[in-house]
Amino acid sequence: MASIAAAKVQEVREITRIERIGAHSHIRGLGLDDSLEPRNVSQGMVGQLTARRAAGVVLEMIKEGKIAGRAILLAGQPGTGKTAIAMGMAQALGQDTPFTSMAGSEIYSLEMGKTEALTQAIRKSIGVRIKEETEIIEGEVVEVQVDRPATGVGTKVGKLTLKTTEMETIYDLGGKMIECIMKEKVQAGDVITIDKATGKISKLGRSFTRARDYDATGPQTRFVQCPEGELQKRKEVVHTVSLHEVDVINSRTHGFLALFSGDTGEIKAEVREQINAKVAEWREEGKAEIVPGVLFIDEVHMLDIECFSFLNRALENEMAPVVIMATNRGITRIRGTNYMSPHGIPIDLLDRMNIVATKPYEEKELKEILKIRCEEEDCEMSDDALTVLTRIAGETSLRYAIQLITTSGLVSRKRKSNEIQMEDIKRVYSLFLDENRSMQFLKEYQDEFMFNDIADAGDAMDVADG
Amino acid sequence: MENPEKSLLHLTQIEEQAQEILSDREDIVALDKQRNHNREAIRALHKQDKTSAWIAVGPLLVKMPIKKVSDTLNKDQVRLDVEVNRLRSDLKVKVNKLRDLEHASPVPGLMLNPMSQADMNAMGQVLGR
Repeated sequence: MASIAAAKVQEVREITRIERIGAHSHIRGLGLDDSLEPRNVSQGMVGQLTARRAAGVVLEMIKEGKIAGRAILLAGQPGTGKTAIAMGMAQALGQDTPFTSMAGSEIYSLEMGKTEALTQAIRKSIGVRIKEETEIIEGEVVEVQVDRPATGVGTKVGKLTLKTTEMETIYDLGGKMIECIMKEKVQAGDVITIDKATGKISKLGRSFTRARDYDATGPQTRFVQCPEGELQKRKEVVHTVSLHEVDVINSRTHGFLALFSGDTGEIKAEVREQINAKVAEWREEGKAEIVPGVLFIDEVHMLDIECFSFLNRALENEMAPVVIMATNRGITRIRGTNYMSPHGIPIDLLDRMNIVATKPYEEKELKEILKIRCEEEDCEMSDDALTVLTRIAGETSLRYAIQLITTSGLVSRKRKSNEIQMEDIKRVYSLFLDENRSMQFLKEYQDEFMFNDIADAGDAMDVADG
Repeated sequence: MENPEKSLLHLTQIEEQAQEILSDREDIVALDKQRNHNREAIRALHKQDKTSAWIAVGPLLVKMPIKKVSDTLNKDQVRLDVEVNRLRSDLKVKVNKLRDLEHASPVPGLMLNPMSQADMNAMGQVLGR
């Protein structure tokens, strides 16, 4: 079993689970090689070499469980790949490490307090690793033999012959096991497991050697190899559950309603304390390991001063995850105060963070990104169209250019072509305004819009703010 | 590979460790086979109503009283159980050692103690059972 666990390949994390914006669905990892050097274009990542390398170093430390209760700040202008790097880290962490992604404004809700929402997010990002151990008998059924008494009533007796590739043996069956076998409709050629503790029988499928027994088999019939090795196996399964999941199950008073509503609203502090105590007890007994995961807070400037001081405190807890935050603000007001601070984050919290900066993309990198997005969105694009789009991305914004891909794809399909040409790009460029042109338009025709004294109102607000 | 002797030594260590693991696996299979044979024998002894039974000791066939035979078999069964469990526990250490030699990270959670049945029932809910 140990060797099986060792051989198990780390699976790629499902994208849907962490997906908040479709804009980053092409990211498969951080695109680093074994020595953590970033490749220029890899796994959907382009450019941002220093930021990616920094993220890679952080990632290694997280994997080794060396840092917990630290905070990383990804700071950079809009559209410089902050969220992409966070997504890449999530992908590279693999299935076993919890990763929670949230946007700063998600904490403002009527159903629960801000700190409750943050606590839940933090506890979602802390995993507990436990091991389940079962003794099972696993083998292919060679023969089932059940003797019924002639009268029809009374105890049945039976025999079950099981084999693996190495051995074959006969088990005597009691009444209860016979019932189980009847219920599961076990017959010769099935591969079954019997849980030794509970006596539960489960069918894994039919053996390949018996594949030609019948001409007509249902589509649901699964064929499996005859098991190898010993009959009586010890099966060890390692599970990682998040503390929040344990909280939710234990805070349910009576059962099923919570299953449908998804989350349960606020969770009592006592429940959390009890669970912490239980987990601590398991840790002492060597039954559980804490897996500090990653909490990613996008648009972190949307948090207010209360949340920041709560985070400050929460990071000191021994069971704290690594918190990665992203912001695109410069020196701005801390929400909930009148104080200005870099990135809208209080200085004391900023002091605890490792800050990773992202830089604006260069033209060559923009082109690579647009090419990757074209593939992701199933659009073919001619070379000169891509050049034009790259120039648009440089002059307006990367996001605007990416949005033009699908729309110009639709336009090109309309004229029954599979490839996006320059004319398609021009057409959508005239159809959809970018931010600058929209602003230009408004400035020119402001007088014809309603409530056009908005500039005055803005001035008034500034006065009120100051 | 600037130092062939060193790398050869390293590879030898890996091979040795891997061989040990493989032979342990085979031992476990052999022991389990023996265990199943014993179990069949014990069942067979239970069912018959004679006072003595034939037992093969190496090349010899010996007739012995049933009580004594089943005692020996039961004792053997306990010994086999202990042996299999010991091998399985050692196997974990060896697998991690091998992975260490290969510069791979240890299997997560391999050295954890298993949850008790009651704890697992509670955690099963979390896992959606």
